[in-house]
Amino acid sequence: MNLFFKPAKALGASFLIASAFISQPLFANGPIGEHVNHLQANLKSYNEEVEWMVGKVDTLVSTYESKGAKAVNTDDLIEYWESVKFHSAIETNLVPIYASIWQGLYGVKMAIDGGKSAAEVRTQQHAMNTALWQGLGAVKLAAKFQQKGLLKAVTATASKEMTQSATIDEIKHKLDRVIAKLAERLQDEATEIVHDTYLHLFEGVEGTLIEQDANLVETLEKDFNVTLPKAIADNKSVDEVRDVVTDMQTKLDRAKGLIEKAEKNRKDVF
Amino acid sequence: MERRTFIQGLAALGVMGSLPLPLSQAFANTVNNPVSVDDLPKLKGDLTLYLGRGEGGLYENVLQAIQKNNPDFNLAIRRGPTAALANTIVAEAKAGVKRADLFWAVDSGAIGLVTDAGLAKPLPNDLSAQLQPQFKYKEWAPVTGRIRTLPYNTSRLTKDQIPTSIMEIAESDLSIGWAPAYASFQSFVTAMRILEGDDKTAKWLKKVKKRAKTYAGELGVVMGVERGEVDIGFANHYYTLRLKSGKPDAKLDLAFTQNDAGCLVNASGILTLNSDPLATNFMRYLLSKEVQGYLAREAYEIPLVNGIEQPDGLPSLSSVLPPKIDLTQLADLRPTIDLMRSNGVL
Repeated sequence: MNLFFKPAKALGASFLIASAFISQPLFANGPIGEHVNHLQANLKSYNEEVEWMVGKVDTLVSTYESKGAKAVNTDDLIEYWESVKFHSAIETNLVPIYASIWQGLYGVKMAIDGGKSAAEVRTQQHAMNTALWQGLGAVKLAAKFQQKGLLKAVTATASKEMTQSATIDEIKHKLDRVIAKLAERLQDEATEIVHDTYLHLFEGVEGTLIEQDANLVETLEKDFNVTLPKAIADNKSVDEVRDVVTDMQTKLDRAKGLIEKAEKNRKDVF
Repeated sequence: MERRTFIQGLAALGVMGSLPLPLSQAFANTVNNPVSVDDLPKLKGDLTLYLGRGEGGLYENVLQAIQKNNPDFNLAIRRGPTAALANTIVAEAKAGVKRADLFWAVDSGAIGLVTDAGLAKPLPNDLSAQLQPQFKYKEWAPVTGRIRTLPYNTSRLTKDQIPTSIMEIAESDLSIGWAPAYASFQSFVTAMRILEGDDKTAKWLKKVKKRAKTYAGELGVVMGVERGEVDIGFANHYYTLRLKSGKPDAKLDLAFTQNDAGCLVNASGILTLNSDPLATNFMRYLLSKEVQGYLAREAYEIPLVNGIEQPDGLPSLSSVLPPKIDLTQLADLRPTIDLMRSNGVL
């Protein structure tokens, strides 16, 4: 899509993957609001917010272009994004695109803060705009699913049943959030999510998984404990870390298939 | 008295938990065999269970089976990390709120937090009579156990080369894999502190640290042993059994120390926060031979009820001689973590 960051890859068929819709009550940027459970009714305002956001960023970039870096405060970019409801609509429904929007925002901010040419800033701006519109498309699609009752409500408690198969979905979702946190420049939070996901979620399924494919567990163990934390600690780019995560998610898809097969073969309790 | 006759007799009187206490106690000591769910009273009514996360879904399967077997029973479940739920129960009690009827915790330390706060209700004797003698407690019922083991690489060592004393392992020249950040390891160190004292434990930690390779979790430890990265490891038993199940040619076996923290048996457990017989009867399902057998078979957990087979590949507890220790004493990890930190282990 552009030279600066890879687009979230999940908008097409993989939009249907349950992991994208897992209820997720913990968000770093304040209350999520009940509106996320009524997407259809809020599409108009989401649309207006995206247009507003695009316009505000364009104004800021134009000011930079004509008057230079001293004339703008790039922290405003973050404030614009955090002030819109659309922010939590996309965060609750498609974390990979949420990460891309943050990546785009920081692309613009860092280009300006780094004194890059207006053309380079415009390229970053274009990437950010693309991610925003892609996000709006994702939310519109999610609204349709929600209307059909295919989208789980966002709740404030972690009380849902966690089968082993659902745990794999949750792990994949957490890995998406690792990318989102990295894109938000929250490296410590990203690392903490990796650590907690391993200890609280992956550990719960690896027992079953190791009976199915010990080598796969061994590889994922290394990914969770070495490859991914190291990529974050080494300040690899968001795209590079995303590659690690995508590779892990592919392995987790395989793990899910094995676990579902094992569950089918499991004898009843009574 | 035959078990079935006993249960049926109780059923004729109504649900067991509704028996007058002396009568219940009179019957109690006779029940020491595993009870089938077919012989348990049907559950009717509503309960709220706080369920500490563990065994990724197998506990859920048990709960679903209980509910399916009891269509007039409605179980609300709050799930979360075990320690967090224990703290929540204590905090709710302090605030004068009681939301949980039952607490099923994956480790006995969390149980200790709740029993120490005086919130758990005493169990009827017949319930604890089903448990093996060293696992009888007044206010909570251990459900299943896991034992600390020494997984070792069979191409590098034979079992007789491994000390049978956990303290002697620190003096050996074996390379060791461990996961100090892992909760089960910290419970093991807590047991060592209780049994050997802080000074000896600190010296042990320092010595072992010199030859230890650190892993994030204990499955990692076992896999490291199997790959030959280290000679032995410290880990709960089920990781080795599971790895051997998935990889039968794994160069791996289990060794045990004798009568010390190195072969501590820790347990998941359940307690009730109210005196409703329904809650007590729910607990009976977890101690039934079907549930105990299921968790032993599928999760490789150690059944703690008399007369249930151990998971394949594990010796009987009587041959290992685990230390006698009140498991609820493992609740306070803070002195252990402080000790581990002050000795550079964490």
